[in-house]
Amino acid sequence: MAEESVLRDDFLRQLISVGEVDILVGLATHNNAKTVGPVVKAIQAGILTYFPRERAAIINADGGSRDGTPDLVTRVSIDDARPAGNLRTLRTLHSISTHYGNGPSGSALRTILAAAELLRAKACAVISPESVNIEPDWISRLLRPIYNENFDLVLPLYRRHKFEGLLMRNVIYPMTRSLYGCRIREPYATEFGFSGRLGSDFVNRDIWSHEMARSGPELPLTVAAMTGGYRLYQSFLGTKAPMDRGSNDLVPALRHTVGALFWSLQPNFAVWSASPNSQPVPTVGPESEVALEPVRVNRKRLRDAFLTGVAELDPVFRSILSPSTLAELQQIAGRSEDDFRYPAELWVKTVYEFAVSYHKSVMSRDHIIQALAPLYRGRMFSFLAENRNGSAEDIEHNIETLCGEFERLRPYLLKMWNGGE
Amino acid sequence: MTLNNDVLWYKDAVIYQVHVRSFYDKNGDGVGDFQGLAEKLDYLQDLGINAIWLMPFFPSPLRDDGYDIADYRSVHPAYGTLEDFQAFLAAAHERDIRVIIEMVLNHTSDQHPWFQESRSSPDNPRRDWYVWGATDTGYKGTRIIFVDTEMSNWAWDPVSKSYYWHRFFSHQPDLNYDNPSVREEMWNVMKFWLEMGVDGFRLDAVPYLVEREGTSCENLPETHAILKELRSKLDEQFPGRMLLAEANQWPADLRPYFGDGDEFHMAFHFPLMPRMFMGLKLEDRKPITEILQQTPEIPAGCQWCMFLRNHDELTLEMVTDAERDYMYDMYAEEKSMRLNVGIRRRLAPLLDNDRRRIELMNGMLMSLPGTPIIYYGDEIGMGDNIDLGDRNGVRTPMQWTGGWNGGFSAAEPEKLSLPLILHPVYGYPAVNVLAQKRSEHSLLSWMQHIVSVRRSTPVFGSGTIEFLYPANHRILAYVRQLGKETILVVNNLSGAAQAVELDLRQYKGNILIEMSGRNIFPRVGDLPYLLTMGPYQFYWFRLRRI
Repeated sequence: MAEESVLRDDFLRQLISVGEVDILVGLATHNNAKTVGPVVKAIQAGILTYFPRERAAIINADGGSRDGTPDLVTRVSIDDARPAGNLRTLRTLHSISTHYGNGPSGSALRTILAAAELLRAKACAVISPESVNIEPDWISRLLRPIYNENFDLVLPLYRRHKFEGLLMRNVIYPMTRSLYGCRIREPYATEFGFSGRLGSDFVNRDIWSHEMARSGPELPLTVAAMTGGYRLYQSFLGTKAPMDRGSNDLVPALRHTVGALFWSLQPNFAVWSASPNSQPVPTVGPESEVALEPVRVNRKRLRDAFLTGVAELDPVFRSILSPSTLAELQQIAGRSEDDFRYPAELWVKTVYEFAVSYHKSVMSRDHIIQALAPLYRGRMFSFLAENRNGSAEDIEHNIETLCGEFERLRPYLLKMWNGGE
Repeated sequence: MTLNNDVLWYKDAVIYQVHVRSFYDKNGDGVGDFQGLAEKLDYLQDLGINAIWLMPFFPSPLRDDGYDIADYRSVHPAYGTLEDFQAFLAAAHERDIRVIIEMVLNHTSDQHPWFQESRSSPDNPRRDWYVWGATDTGYKGTRIIFVDTEMSNWAWDPVSKSYYWHRFFSHQPDLNYDNPSVREEMWNVMKFWLEMGVDGFRLDAVPYLVEREGTSCENLPETHAILKELRSKLDEQFPGRMLLAEANQWPADLRPYFGDGDEFHMAFHFPLMPRMFMGLKLEDRKPITEILQQTPEIPAGCQWCMFLRNHDELTLEMVTDAERDYMYDMYAEEKSMRLNVGIRRRLAPLLDNDRRRIELMNGMLMSLPGTPIIYYGDEIGMGDNIDLGDRNGVRTPMQWTGGWNGGFSAAEPEKLSLPLILHPVYGYPAVNVLAQKRSEHSLLSWMQHIVSVRRSTPVFGSGTIEFLYPANHRILAYVRQLGKETILVVNNLSGAAQAVELDLRQYKGNILIEMSGRNIFPRVGDLPYLLTMGPYQFYWFRLRRI
C-alpha cells in the first residue's frame, strides 16, 4: 500500500499557486494566537526589508489550532487582492497554512521541508511562533549565509541568562561537539535556517517512520548536516525569549533533544567513532553572551528530585549504569547540600553510559530517557551552585571544561559501545 | 479619401509609430523620406495597423531629433516636400490608415525665427512669446527633466543678455502660453495640418505649457484651460480628429487631461509600461494589476494609449526608487544602457530576444484596455545600438532585407543618417522584413496574426475589464466585455509551465473558444476552471453560450 502523502490536497493546491520560491519561512504552530501575530509581522518585515526582490513564501504547518492561529499567519499575505497598506512591495508574498494532522510535532517540520522541496526553495528558515522578541533582521541573519554564501545550515546564537539553556549547555552542545566535531552552540534550535539541498536530503531520508524523527526531527537535522558534509554557520540573534515551561516539560524536552541525540549515534557510528577533535564553525556575532541578573531558582527541588531518583530508580540504574558510576552517584547523594557536587567527569560518564544503554535497548528506550531526568536535575543543582556567583567568563570556562571532558572521554564511550565493561 | 466615418476610430486603432528619417530612403541620399514611407504603406497595411504616428518631420536643426522645430508649416528638406507629405497622407487614407503627427507645443528650437526675433530686443513684438527672466532664480520648485545634460531650467542668452526658460534642452526655449498671440498662432499651426487632412496630433510635453511661481510648473489649471480651448476648436472645426497627450505622469495626475471628455481623446499610460516589464521579470502580476487598480475611470470617448517601447528611453520616472533600481539591474546592467531616468533599449534586446516573451508582451499590449502602439522595427525584433548617443540607438534604419544597407537606402553606407544594426543576432542580415515575410512562423507573421485577431473585435478597444485574481500570482487573467461579447485573457508571466484555477462561475454554461486557433475548450461549470499553461503562454478565449 502506498505511503500516505504528508501534504494534503488543499495544501498542494496552495503550493501550486505559490510556485518556485527563493526564500521560505516555516512556522510550526498549535494554538499560538497569543504570540504568533507579531512574529509573522516581523517575518513579513524581514522578507520585505532584506529580500525585497526574492520570491518568498511563509508556510504554516498547524497542529489543529482552535484559536485562529492559521488566520493570523495567512493575514500577512501581500498580493494584488490584498494590498499591504502603506507597504510598497515589488512582489506577491504568499503566506499559506495547512493542518498537518494529528501526528507528532515533528510532522510540522516534515511538512515544511516537503513544501520547501516542492517549491524548490533555495534558503529556508524555521521560526518559533513563540519568539515574541523576534526582530526582522533575524530573517536576514538566518537566511543570508545560505542564500548568498552557500551555507547549508544556520543555527542561532542567543543572549541567554546564565541559568537558561542548561540542557543545551550541559548535554546537547558538549556531546554533539565531542561526537561530531562541530562547535555548534545550539544544535537543537527553535529558529534555524537551512538550504534547499539539505532540506531535500533530509526529508527524503528513510527516518520518518521512526518515532524519534517524527517527534523531534530538529536535532537529527543538525546531525545530518554535521555528518553529511554540509556547511554550517552560526548567527547571533539576540535575546532568546524564555519559554513558559514547567518542570513537567523536562522529560519531553529530554526526549526531543537527548533522545534524538542518542538515537542518532547508531546510524552515524562510522562518523563519530572516527571524528577528529572539534573545530569552530563560521560565526557572526558573539558566540556566547550571558546575562547575569540575579534570578530565583528553587535549587532544593532539584536536589530532592535527584535524591528521590537515585533511591527509587536503583534497579533501573543498575541496568543502565556501570557499577562504578552508580557507586559514585550514590556516594554524592549521601553528601550534605553544601557539599553536593556532580563533577563534570561523572556527568559525562553518566550521559555516555545512558547513550550506550539506549543503543543496546537494555530496557524501553523511553524509560531510559525518563530515568535520566533526576540525574540531570542533580547536575543542574551542581551547575547552579558552582556558578551562582560566576561571571560570564567563569560560566564560559566551566562549559568549555565540560566540553573538554566530553571530548576526552569519547574513547570511553567507544569502548562501552563496543561492549567493554 | 476612403476613411470610415467612425469618430471613435482611435479606440479601435492599432497604431504604428515611425520615424520618416529611419523608415525607407526613396531618393537614395541616406535619409528616409516621405516618398519612401508612402512606398511602404502596403507593408503596413499587411501588418494590419490602421493608424500611423509620425515623429517630427518639420524643418529643424535636429539637435533633438526633430523635437526642436524651426518651422511648423513645412517639411524638413531631407524628408521631402510638403507635396510629398500630402501624397503620403492621401495614400495612407486610401488604405484606411489614419495619420497622427507630432505637435511640439511647449517649445521651439532656438533657431526658430520666433525665438530669433524674441531674443533680438526686449522691445521686439515677439519678446513675450518666450519666458524671459533677469535672473535664473524663478520657478525654483520645478524639476529638471534631462538630468543627464541640463543643470538648470534657465539658460543665459548672450544676445539679449537675460535668461530664458526651458524644460528640456537649453536649445529648446519654452513658448509663453500666457501670451494670447502664442496660443492663437499654435492653433493656426494645428489648423494648417488639419486642413491638409491629418487625423490627429500627439501633443508633446503638454504638462509644462504654463509656469507659475511656487508650483512644480506641471499640470497647472491654466495649462488644462489652454488644452481645453484647443480641443473645443478642434471639435468645432474638425470633428472626428484626435488629440493624444504625452504626459508622463501618475494615473491620478493624468486623469485631468481627459477633463470631462473635453480635453484629450487619448493619453499615454506611462506608468503601466515599465510595470509590464517588471511583472514579466518578477513573474508576478502584482505590479500590473496594482497600477491598473490605481488607474481611474476615464470619460466615455476617451482612451488610454499603450506601448511597450517607443523612440524615447523606457521611462522610469513613474516608478518607486526600489522599482527603478530593480528595473536598472534587470534590464540595463550596463550603465551605457541608461539615459536620464530610463533605459534606452528596444523590445527584443530587453527581452533577451526570447520569442515567447516578445509574444506575451505584445499579447498583453493588444489585450489590456487601450489602443496599442507598435514601434517601428519591433514587429520584426530589431535590436538597438547603445554605442550611438542619446536615444539614437533605438532609432536606427528599418531593416527591410539582408542586402545593401538592409534595403533601407541605396546610398553609400557612410551617408546613412544613422548606421544600421550589424550585430550578429539583431543585425539586418539576420533580422529583416524580407526574410520574415517568407516564413509563416516568423515574428512578423505572428504580429500580423495577433493584430488581425485584436482587430476582429471591438471588445479590446472599447470593452470593460475585470481582473480575476487566481491564487497563482504568475497568472494575469482578466475578462474584457462589450455588450454581449466577452473575452477571457489569461497570461502566464512565468518561464515555467503553470497550473491555474480560475473562478468563472458567473460564466457557467459558456464554452471557451481560443481566438487564435479557434479551438473549443471545455464548458465552464461549477468547479474552478483548470488551465495548464506553457512558459510565457497566453490565451484569448471568446466565451460563447451555445
